[in-house]
Amino acid sequence: MADLPIWHYDTLFLTLALLFGITALAMQNLMGAAIVFGAYSFLMCLIWTTMGAVDVAFTEAAVGAGVSTVFIFATIYNTGVSATPNSPRIAFKIFAGLIAFGTGAFLLSALPDFPDWGDPKSPVNSTIAPYYIANSITDAHVPNIVTTVLADYRGFDTLLETTVVFIACIAIYSILRIDNAKSKVTEPDIITSPPAYDPTDSLIIRQASRIMVPFMQLFALYVIAHGHYSPGGGFQGGVILGASIILLSISFDLKHVLQQWTEKKIMILTALGVLIYAMVGLACILMDGVYLDYAALDSVLPGDEAYARSHGILLVEIGVGITVMFSMIGIYINLASNGRFDRGL
Amino acid sequence: MEYIAYFFIVVGLIFFLGTSIGLLRFPDFYTRMHAAGKGDTLSTVLILVGCIFAVGNQGDLNWILALKILLIINFVFIGSPTATHAMMDVGERAGAKPWNKKGENK
Amino acid sequence: MEDIIPKFNYIVVVVLMMTGLWSMLAQGNLIKKCIGMAIFQTGIILFFISIGAKNDALIPILTEGANHTFDNPNIDKVTNPLTQILMLTAIVVGVATLGVGLALAQKVYQQHDSFDEDEILNNQTK
Repeated sequence: MADLPIWHYDTLFLTLALLFGITALAMQNLMGAAIVFGAYSFLMCLIWTTMGAVDVAFTEAAVGAGVSTVFIFATIYNTGVSATPNSPRIAFKIFAGLIAFGTGAFLLSALPDFPDWGDPKSPVNSTIAPYYIANSITDAHVPNIVTTVLADYRGFDTLLETTVVFIACIAIYSILRIDNAKSKVTEPDIITSPPAYDPTDSLIIRQASRIMVPFMQLFALYVIAHGHYSPGGGFQGGVILGASIILLSISFDLKHVLQQWTEKKIMILTALGVLIYAMVGLACILMDGVYLDYAALDSVLPGDEAYARSHGILLVEIGVGITVMFSMIGIYINLASNGRFDRGL
Repeated sequence: MEYIAYFFIVVGLIFFLGTSIGLLRFPDFYTRMHAAGKGDTLSTVLILVGCIFAVGNQGDLNWILALKILLIINFVFIGSPTATHAMMDVGERAGAKPWNKKGENK
Repeated sequence: MEDIIPKFNYIVVVVLMMTGLWSMLAQGNLIKKCIGMAIFQTGIILFFISIGAKNDALIPILTEGANHTFDNPNIDKVTNPLTQILMLTAIVVGVATLGVGLALAQKVYQQHDSFDEDEILNNQTK
């Protein structure tokens, strides 16, 4: 088996990831399930790094192992943490098992037709990807091919993806947000009263997070700006920025964060990022190009056409970063405070 | 240069093994957090120091890379013990009792 | 056995997806359903990344050559960037969907005081 063209570490990691995934679903304690899910996400991030997908691994580390776990915690914080079922639901489980098994067998029946793992001549690697690899430098002067394709060749997809994040933030606002003055809820729907915030408590945690947050934000800005030359870009930087504010709201009180980042500011800035992205495209039309054709901006931006595309990519990445940051903050505050915006984790 | 890197990484992994054994075998919440917090931070720092020596062979800007890894070590050193402290603080407030020699209060 | 090993990643992907699917169908707890959905999504992302990987290939970030210019890259030695971009979008959309799912679960909890599907059904038909 020494000449098989696969990576042996990857096989071990994949098996471990499978075990973690099954464990996360089998645990009865919901908090434990959230923690194992965070570990599973992180293991997936490692797998993708060894397979050469560093941007994806960066995003998964920030989003999956970081923010998703915090979202699940914020949801179950005010509610029960144990998930013991009332009835074993045997019929459900057997029927669902048959469906899952049948679908899996159906998918695996095509296994001999799939290309080998790691084959450079497979159909996926032979159609348009060689064009992107060969022309990323000459077209846009950006060494990170993933950033070029994401923001330039496939700019529409990224615009609509940013819009999807924005819409998700709006949806969560509209589902959960309760205006305290207008609602007639008299008794709190929180089971355990949260401990009263005593300013002398947890001095270490507050000081440590106070030290770390500025560096997190600086690093996030570096990730956005340096996305052309290293793994990074708008999404990763935006998620790290959002995570820095979430750290502040966990270690301090939610009210302290809301005094600085008021709800109105968060909502306006979430929309501002999508607006920046769409406006860059509109500016390209005004300069005699097609929508999102950054080469049309080269009379305004310094450098020749290729550098204009590079700067255009930076502009849209800034827009993406702003939207993702405030969406993450908005989603977290809504989930953690049950929509009341008064106290949270 | 590479052998120093190997040495540090292997020592870091040995400490990690000790941490995992301690996490499983200690009788009580506080002692387990003690093992997890200290062993975790130390092994991560040792493995990262090994990485500093491992990247020392590549290219001419390796000192910038070593500086970046030093910054990572700095933040791990600030963040990981704080997280352990946070967990122990909450555990004490939630009422976890320390281990008694008679075997009660497990 | 010899022809399964080069295609091991597909087997893991299908098992992960089916685990997520089973959990979405069969588990009673709403939060476990959301976690199952997230596991399903990471299974799909693993599939795309693994078909874009190449043997002995470097990451799709080109580095400067000897004289500070970028040479023509060897296509076989650069990992396929196309699948990675699609999956970047997929991860971000996945976390947005997870957020909406958790918000819905929390709202259901506020109304019915339980995360369990059977209890909610009993509450509704009472």
